[in-house]
Amino acid sequence: MSQSSLATADQPQITPSQNGRSKWLSQRSLDEWSLGGVLMIGVLALFICVVLPIYTLLSKSIENKAGDVIGLENFSHFFATPSLYSAINNSLLIAFLSTFIVTTLSFLTAYGISRTRIPFKGLFRTILVLPILAPSLLPAISLVYLFGNQGIIKELLMGESIYGPIGIVIGSCFWTFPHALMIMLTALANTDARLYESAEVLGASPMRTFFTVTLPAAKYGIISVAFVVFTLVITDFGVPKVIGGQFNVLATDIYKQVIGQQNFEMGATVSVILLLPAILTFMTDRWLQRRQSALLTSKAVPWSAPKRLWLDRTFFALMVLVSVVIVGIILMAVYASLVTFWPYNLNLSLNNYNFDLMDGGGWDSYWNSIQMATFTALIGTGFIFFQSYLVAKLKGFQLLKWCFHLFAILPLAVPGLVLGLAYIFFFNAPNNPLNGIYGTMTILVVCTISHFYTVCHLTATTALKQIDAEFESVSASLKVPQIKTFWRVTLPVCMPAVLDIASYLFVNAMTTVSAVVFLYSYHTSLASVAVLNMDDAGDIAPAAAMAVMIMMTCMIARLIHWFLGSVLLKHTQSWRQQ
Amino acid sequence: MSNQAYLALQNIHQMFGSHQALKDVSLNIQEGEFVCFLGPSGCGKTSLLRIIAGLDTPTSGELFQAGDNITQTPIKHRDFGIVFQSYALFPNLSVADNIAYGLVSKQFNQHDKQARVSELLATVGLSGSETKYPAQLSGGQQQRVALARALATSPGLLLLDEPLSALDARVRAHLRQEIKQLQEKLGVTTIMVTHDQEEALTMADKIVVMNQGVIEQIGTPQEVYAHPNTPFVAEFVGEMNFIEAKRSGDGLMQSGTLMLQCEPDSETTFGENVTLAIRPEDIRFNGHEGDKNNLNAEVLHLEFLGSRVRSLLQIDDHETPLIADISMNEMSGLNLTQGQSVRCQLPADRLHIFGGQA
Repeated sequence: MSQSSLATADQPQITPSQNGRSKWLSQRSLDEWSLGGVLMIGVLALFICVVLPIYTLLSKSIENKAGDVIGLENFSHFFATPSLYSAINNSLLIAFLSTFIVTTLSFLTAYGISRTRIPFKGLFRTILVLPILAPSLLPAISLVYLFGNQGIIKELLMGESIYGPIGIVIGSCFWTFPHALMIMLTALANTDARLYESAEVLGASPMRTFFTVTLPAAKYGIISVAFVVFTLVITDFGVPKVIGGQFNVLATDIYKQVIGQQNFEMGATVSVILLLPAILTFMTDRWLQRRQSALLTSKAVPWSAPKRLWLDRTFFALMVLVSVVIVGIILMAVYASLVTFWPYNLNLSLNNYNFDLMDGGGWDSYWNSIQMATFTALIGTGFIFFQSYLVAKLKGFQLLKWCFHLFAILPLAVPGLVLGLAYIFFFNAPNNPLNGIYGTMTILVVCTISHFYTVCHLTATTALKQIDAEFESVSASLKVPQIKTFWRVTLPVCMPAVLDIASYLFVNAMTTVSAVVFLYSYHTSLASVAVLNMDDAGDIAPAAAMAVMIMMTCMIARLIHWFLGSVLLKHTQSWRQQ
Repeated sequence: MSNQAYLALQNIHQMFGSHQALKDVSLNIQEGEFVCFLGPSGCGKTSLLRIIAGLDTPTSGELFQAGDNITQTPIKHRDFGIVFQSYALFPNLSVADNIAYGLVSKQFNQHDKQARVSELLATVGLSGSETKYPAQLSGGQQQRVALARALATSPGLLLLDEPLSALDARVRAHLRQEIKQLQEKLGVTTIMVTHDQEEALTMADKIVVMNQGVIEQIGTPQEVYAHPNTPFVAEFVGEMNFIEAKRSGDGLMQSGTLMLQCEPDSETTFGENVTLAIRPEDIRFNGHEGDKNNLNAEVLHLEFLGSRVRSLLQIDDHETPLIADISMNEMSGLNLTQGQSVRCQLPADRLHIFGGQA
């Protein structure tokens, strides 16, 4: 028994007569202590990058310009000003309408994909999630070209203006739809053929089966979609900014208060109000997750849809319709970006891609975005996955893990706009030793990782929980340091999840506007912000061109992801195939 | 602390919140012994194994291995190999890499490693499987690889956590023998956790029967089966009929109108309520007239079990019928039918007496 490993040299010899301190220290080996140290750093990092900024924001909302605590005065001022107050009604109206439309449509299309026998399901699925690759500004710009003052089909609106609630609702539905569809597909994927067979044997009509079997099983998914869409819409600021016209919503109000009027305190106040629906959604989602997992108790037998001619035809027509709308909106933006001078010179050219001639940062902002997205994907994936690993697989450190999990879930409840503002308050404070990163690429990367932290953390945690819980015990019993097992076993096994996280971070870093719009500087302008600024300056065609560039970049990123995931991994990791 | 025992557990307590998983467990294990922790789920056997492995720390109590106090020692400084119920084979590593996983210290060069892996694979009967991946192996083969991996570093102690429960019956019976032979050959001190009494009886040198966090009995398989200390052990290991009775004389027990002669014991007192127990195979049908403990019974039900027949016997003024197993050989002479009356005997030397169990 001479399995002396590298770490044993400075390990105190255990004797029956040990004092309390060394007893406590010696319960863990040196590498467990060092991994615990890394976890500690992770908790501190999240505390600084998520908790403290939000705390600063909350305290700002009850302060005046001079920094004195004035209680809820800002809030009473907000509610006493009709122009500000009306934004709440407007936001609610938009959010409710969009939620209703997207929930219905996503349920129907998800049903079409998972429960009917229509052809081309894979193609439809790809098309329906395309909007996720575009910044939320793209549909808004497309709508301007379709229904705006010089729009090609503006007659369809029968005199109504696209600038306002109609435009915001259509644009919001477009970009939130893929998020809803993905949740809905998961909810409808859990079928149990035995239930359908029982219903049939008991003589239930198809309608009755739908209401007693299909709908209850998807219930939590539907509720979840409704809350997620509601929050996404009410906290989004890109669409209302471009196509909202004079129609005030909460998200644009924050922007106006902060960027337009430099009224940071009122911005903080509106942010706090915006935090409420997000927190409500967050809590509902947590509650649903617990209920949902209770549903999946037995091993279900997958159900395959029977041939139902008319139903299949109807759903096929619906899928074609929705796909045409999505592709139409995307193609409109692409076309608009290529037209030389709308609507007078319809010759195609790449003039609009000459970004250096416009305001908004030019091609530099595009390359900045690439740089920012790459850093976000690399650093973010590394940090998130390793920290999730420590939370899931390191022995002990219960309190640290609990804190970490809490901090990691928190960003889900914080809209990007609110987080961006919180970052201004926290990092721009003169007495903050970290204020050197204000205005740099670093703060953009840190903010973007924090903003999208939760989904990545949960993806990593799910993947880690699926692998055998005893790997770490086995390697410890074989005297192999835990970090080596991470590198040789855990990481390769979780590679698909790691790629998912990296790709998710990259795409979101490319398309996000909400948080970074407060944080970019002259030297770190981003492509998505450039879309906004060019649109603001009236350069709508170049804005469309930049939005198309972002979308194409995301498509390429997804292709690389697909290549790495299904081609490379399958060839290098032959053990997966059995 | 005991200097003779290889592994000594002293007054181990384990609390999970308010639930007491282990209550004052003390146990000595000699070098080279094969010990089974046997008990129903939730009895604390796995908790005890996890404490020995260092996966959990006991709330109180101490643990000594080869004379050293290892109660607080981290896993990687302990000397043991472990096989989990799930095997926990690394799916992305080949069989050879899995087995060589622990062979990292400087004393192994590439050639030594390969030689050791081949040797271990030969030992577990899987020569030539070096380049395969775990998913390409059957459950029984995966089990052997896990065993080879645990043995690779020649640990002084081998821990097996329900190693056979995920396998089907035939493979299980086969591997049972193999593991036992391997253990005897290597002479490695082994602790196996199981809920399967047959596994424990066939493999162990010593069985530790546990229930609700305490050790009910420690003994050889023969002792535990033939002389159970408690009704729990009697019922959990093998099958047992129980008869409530009251002591009415020296070695004389009265149950209803029935007077049963037992072997004299010193633990019960006159008039005390006792529980008598007898195994189904110990009830006899070929007794002679005038033998003690003869009684009349009605055959309620007969069940054919292949090599034997299980009969359900109703005895006068006893509510619970007795189960009696009759070998097919004996059955051919008896020719029992359902509903018939039969004379059977409960031999005095096969009646177990548990005092104080009213």
